[in-house]
Amino acid sequence: MAGTDQKFLPAVIALAVIVLGAAAAAIALSPPASESAHLHASRSPSLSGEYPTPERHTGPQGRVGQFIAKCAYSHSAPDDPIVHYQHPGRSHRHDFYGAVATNAFSTPEQLLAGETTCTKTADKAAYWQPTLYDHDEIVEPVEAIAYYRAAPGVTPTDVQSFPFGLAMIAGDQTATSPQVGEAAGWTCGIDPILTPMPRDCADQSPLHLNLTFQDCWDGVHIDSDDHQAHVTYSTAGECPSSHPVHIPQLTTAIKYPISGSGHDFRLASGHTYSAHGDFLNAWEPEGLEREIQICIHRNVVCNLNNNKDDDALLQ
Amino acid sequence: MHSKPWKLLLVVMAALALVAGACGSDDDSDSEDTSANTLKVPQDYDTIQEAVDAAAEGDLVLIDEGVYNEAVDVVTPNITLRGTDRNKVILDGEFELENGIRVPETDGVVVENMTARNYVTNGFFWTGSDYYKGSYLTAYRNGDYGVYSFDAYHGQFDNSLGWGSPDAGFYVGECYPCDMFIDNVDAQYNGLGYSGTDSGGDLYVINSDFTNNRAGIVPNSGAYELCYPSRGSVIAGNRIWNNNLVDGPGINVSLLAQSNGILLGGAVQTIVEKNLVWDHERGGIISVPYPEEDARDIAPDKSTWETPCEETLDNEPAEEVPDWVIWHPWENEVTGNTVESSGMADLAVATVDPAILGSPSDGVTTASLENCFSDNTFTTSAPADIEALAPCDGDPTSDDWANNELDLVGLMGNPAAEPPEGLYQTTPEPPEQENMPGDVTEIPQPYTGPELPDVDSIEVPSKPDDS
Repeated sequence: MAGTDQKFLPAVIALAVIVLGAAAAAIALSPPASESAHLHASRSPSLSGEYPTPERHTGPQGRVGQFIAKCAYSHSAPDDPIVHYQHPGRSHRHDFYGAVATNAFSTPEQLLAGETTCTKTADKAAYWQPTLYDHDEIVEPVEAIAYYRAAPGVTPTDVQSFPFGLAMIAGDQTATSPQVGEAAGWTCGIDPILTPMPRDCADQSPLHLNLTFQDCWDGVHIDSDDHQAHVTYSTAGECPSSHPVHIPQLTTAIKYPISGSGHDFRLASGHTYSAHGDFLNAWEPEGLEREIQICIHRNVVCNLNNNKDDDALLQ
Repeated sequence: MHSKPWKLLLVVMAALALVAGACGSDDDSDSEDTSANTLKVPQDYDTIQEAVDAAAEGDLVLIDEGVYNEAVDVVTPNITLRGTDRNKVILDGEFELENGIRVPETDGVVVENMTARNYVTNGFFWTGSDYYKGSYLTAYRNGDYGVYSFDAYHGQFDNSLGWGSPDAGFYVGECYPCDMFIDNVDAQYNGLGYSGTDSGGDLYVINSDFTNNRAGIVPNSGAYELCYPSRGSVIAGNRIWNNNLVDGPGINVSLLAQSNGILLGGAVQTIVEKNLVWDHERGGIISVPYPEEDARDIAPDKSTWETPCEETLDNEPAEEVPDWVIWHPWENEVTGNTVESSGMADLAVATVDPAILGSPSDGVTTASLENCFSDNTFTTSAPADIEALAPCDGDPTSDDWANNELDLVGLMGNPAAEPPEGLYQTTPEPPEQENMPGDVTEIPQPYTGPELPDVDSIEVPSKPDDS
């Protein structure tokens, strides 16, 4: 046996050299995140080491089951019922969608009892993100488009409903350099390829901020001190044992009436690198459960989003 | 997502079992009959949803007259939902509920003889479901589509009305080969009478009426959905007139298609024959490109067009996509139609080079599209003398493609004014519609797929008396 091993040793070493060489070459060729124009979904979420990030669906819609709530822009305020609960005015300025009465005192029960701007009337959830400024002028967004799907690799029938009142934050509001991974990123139209800063967009596919929330829950807490610890992202379709419950992967795409060049953007939270967004679940539980069972468990397309009704088509 | 081989096998086995039952002894067929039940709403069940949930395969859910504020999901295969009176069995979404009837990944579901109105999205919707049938349906004032199938195969829509939807009255999306037909339907007051994005292959739109929409029949291609391009649809024996609606509902893409009878928007290998088309402010039958800005893929090569949709779902898009992708209308055949009174041209074909939009030239010209026109009765065309330039049979007898070229920029650069949001909610009530024939209480045999039409037997229709 030993003789046999020795006989193959040179080949094994040669193979190792080739493999390692290729890996080294690949590393050398890969641009660091800060220089990468396009962050691709194939990037491992473990690269960050400290800040978990999602694996995303990057193909065109129509391939995996999904439902969509389109929620028109509702209002703006320096409030944050997750991070600064009961402290009005303490937050940077946020744009709100979905539940119409969201403020610093909002509870999920209050949101559920109120009206919504969403096309799915069972969706009383609150969605928000820091206000975008262009040359220091407020950019009033058009809408938040909320996609609900099983995360890539997740068995659709494993997905359970969000617990009522679940709070989640996607993206890192403290980032002063490009965020690792793709919890938050900018794009044009329905293009799934994200960049860490806004890029120039065509008229037919205006600027969007995409935020992908955590899809694994600890099964116990609807919030946590840092608003992160109770949820995390799946990897290759698996949730870690600390967060064993699969919940829908929510991606919100914030649509802005912005295209072309010559812009100078910042967010209320700072540089556009600091993109992040919040979700406070106040869906009518039966309505949410039904959409999950019909659209995610059965893996069908219940809604599509495209550019067929985009204003820019007529420009 | 559906159409898995084992499911097809199950359906085939069910059909064979049915045939076997029919050929068996009387006792056997009796026991087959007694196994199916009628579930009555509201006599046996308060709501349609409760009855549907209680139904077993083969059952009939029979819905009596009334207004039902429900959004029904059907996940029991091989059942029929039927109203006792098409005009008096009304599902009403009150502009709050999403879909009247939604059939997700559930095969063999037939819906017939009822009305769905005032839904935020669709009246009747099959998604990922095969062996589907919508018959004697009235769908009006619904926010996206009237009668809608997506990623669904082996079906039919017949004897139905789609009225007052900003997108399409009837829509068939993301399937190839679809194996379905639309026969004897009526579409009015919609953005588009019929729309089919990236669908085709054994897909027939026949013997139907399209009038008073923004545009009549619009199969189209684009990489914003999957299974592109739209290919191989057959549009035959329809009456399409006065689709010039400007004060009705319409999504923005319908404003671009405004005031045309049949508009092939980047659709390829469409067969348009023996239709009667008249009174359109722009084109009668026009074959034009769809320019898609910031598309996610390039238009696939012709060699892939016969690939079934399901085999292409996981294809990676092209790495390099130009700013503008032009979906050229290749190889459409327009024969034996009668077209009258079109403002721009009765018959037209044109395309653009992406270079005029700043993207690399692809060298495609109108002449190279290989559209053809023969045996049509018409007065005007763009380019002029279109049947001499591009006959379907025989050699061209002219090559002057520049004479009276279609003004594509004028056509697409002047869309109609955008209607106010929610205008569909104020569309007038449609007139009473014909009920399905026969005994509505009879339990039907399972639906085993469409009998595709014999297009050769179709003739050019005549105008309705009141047109």
